[in-house]
Amino acid sequence: MNVSQNYVSQLMGRITTWARVNSPWAIHFNSGSCNGCDIEILATLTPRYDIERFGIKLRGSPRHADVLICTGPVTRQARERLLRTYEQMPDPKFVVAVGSCGISGGVFQGCYNIVGHINEVLPVDAFIPGCPPRPEAIIDGIVKLLTHLQNGTRPEPIQFAPQETA
Amino acid sequence: MNTIVSLLSIMFFPVGISLILSGMLYEWADRKLVARFQNRIGPRWFQPLADTIKLLSKEEIKPHSVNNLLFYGLPIVALSGALTAALYTPILGFAPTYSFQGDLIVALYLLSLLTMCTGLAGWNGASRFSLIGATRSLTQLFAYEAPFLLALLGPAMAAGTWTIKDISVYAENHWMFIAQPVGFVVALIGLMGKLELPPFDAPEAETEIVAGALTEYSGRGLALFHIGKSVELVVAISLVTAFYLGGVGNPLIFLLKTLIILLFMAMLQSMLTRLRIDQTVGMWWRFGALLALLQILVIILLKGWLA
Ligand code: SF4
Repeated sequence: MNVSQNYVSQLMGRITTWARVNSPWAIHFNSGSCNGCDIEILATLTPRYDIERFGIKLRGSPRHADVLICTGPVTRQARERLLRTYEQMPDPKFVVAVGSCGISGGVFQGCYNIVGHINEVLPVDAFIPGCPPRPEAIIDGIVKLLTHLQNGTRPEPIQFAPQETA
Repeated sequence: MNTIVSLLSIMFFPVGISLILSGMLYEWADRKLVARFQNRIGPRWFQPLADTIKLLSKEEIKPHSVNNLLFYGLPIVALSGALTAALYTPILGFAPTYSFQGDLIVALYLLSLLTMCTGLAGWNGASRFSLIGATRSLTQLFAYEAPFLLALLGPAMAAGTWTIKDISVYAENHWMFIAQPVGFVVALIGLMGKLELPPFDAPEAETEIVAGALTEYSGRGLALFHIGKSVELVVAISLVTAFYLGGVGNPLIFLLKTLIILLFMAMLQSMLTRLRIDQTVGMWWRFGALLALLQILVIILLKGWLA
């Protein structure tokens, strides 16, 4: 009895993982970027790159989304909104930080109005470097996230050197 | 014995699992065709299935101020309405499972149940976006419902019966789409309004009101509404095909005819831009309803003249 139950739950787990990997719906949030990264994300959504091939769809509502694509550093104003958007998403959810600013604060590092990079506010699953990253890089980052998801390995959390405050 | 057959027909074929799966395939075909019209590659064939399983396995968040019964009940009612309507329609080219005098009206109202449930769900959603979406869905319901009904009444009046089965048998020898071209066009565009496809997607315009009435739904509820919509796509297309494109006949040829309708709808979807909600209502009542009424008038006069 126990063995068969185990088998069924394993099978269900594999089916849900397959579904999750093949249908990541994304929501896009700008937490204070210079808009360069956002333009590249929009370029990724155009027919030329056609990410509907991977089942990726941009959704307006955080309630429908699985992947939160954030751009830019987190400003003091945007922090609350970013957190609220993240909390409105149903589990399981993933965060992708796009651009150098999302990784380290980038050119905005040390600004008076900046909380810091996105990892200081949310647990980020994938970082996509570049200023701004090309659409190919964004697709590559998301596909890497999906591969990790499929293998059941969450990407290693990245340790940052503590930020120097002037 | 009879009960077993009925149960089988409700659970697996023609209603139930096979209908849900075919709904997903039709949805995929629609998305793929639109993608090809936009010069994209488009989704893979299992995309709707993956979407549905993923949504079913996700967490369902219930907003604070909603009514529990409505929030959990509405998706189930919506899906069951669409599935029940399928009992009276010739799905996939097979004769309807049940039929009685006047089942055309019942099937049409069961199909509208999905829209009404969406409207109620949006009103219940405690979010301004879902409220606006709900208002728009219900406004659109008032716009297309009467012309669509009138357009489907045309074949019914020509056949002289209100039973879907008899009408589709009659339509096998009388190609209504040649005899009543105006009704066919109104029915086709009414179909797009019913399914809230572009250019009639103002109720779920993601660029203005996030996701319309379903903004607050996540996980299971959203999945059930999605399935309901794809089931409705199959049922409504089958209905229009059976009435206007030469009845039921051979299942394979029937499938081909539904695909041709789908192709046409995908073309319109990728060609036209979204109409404002007041433009939608104006268009339906100024042209759609009048044209359908004119069609019915012609049928009545011709029938009286021939008799
Ligand atoms: S990484 Fe570059 S393009 Fe992106 S937000 Fe920062 S400065 Fe702008």
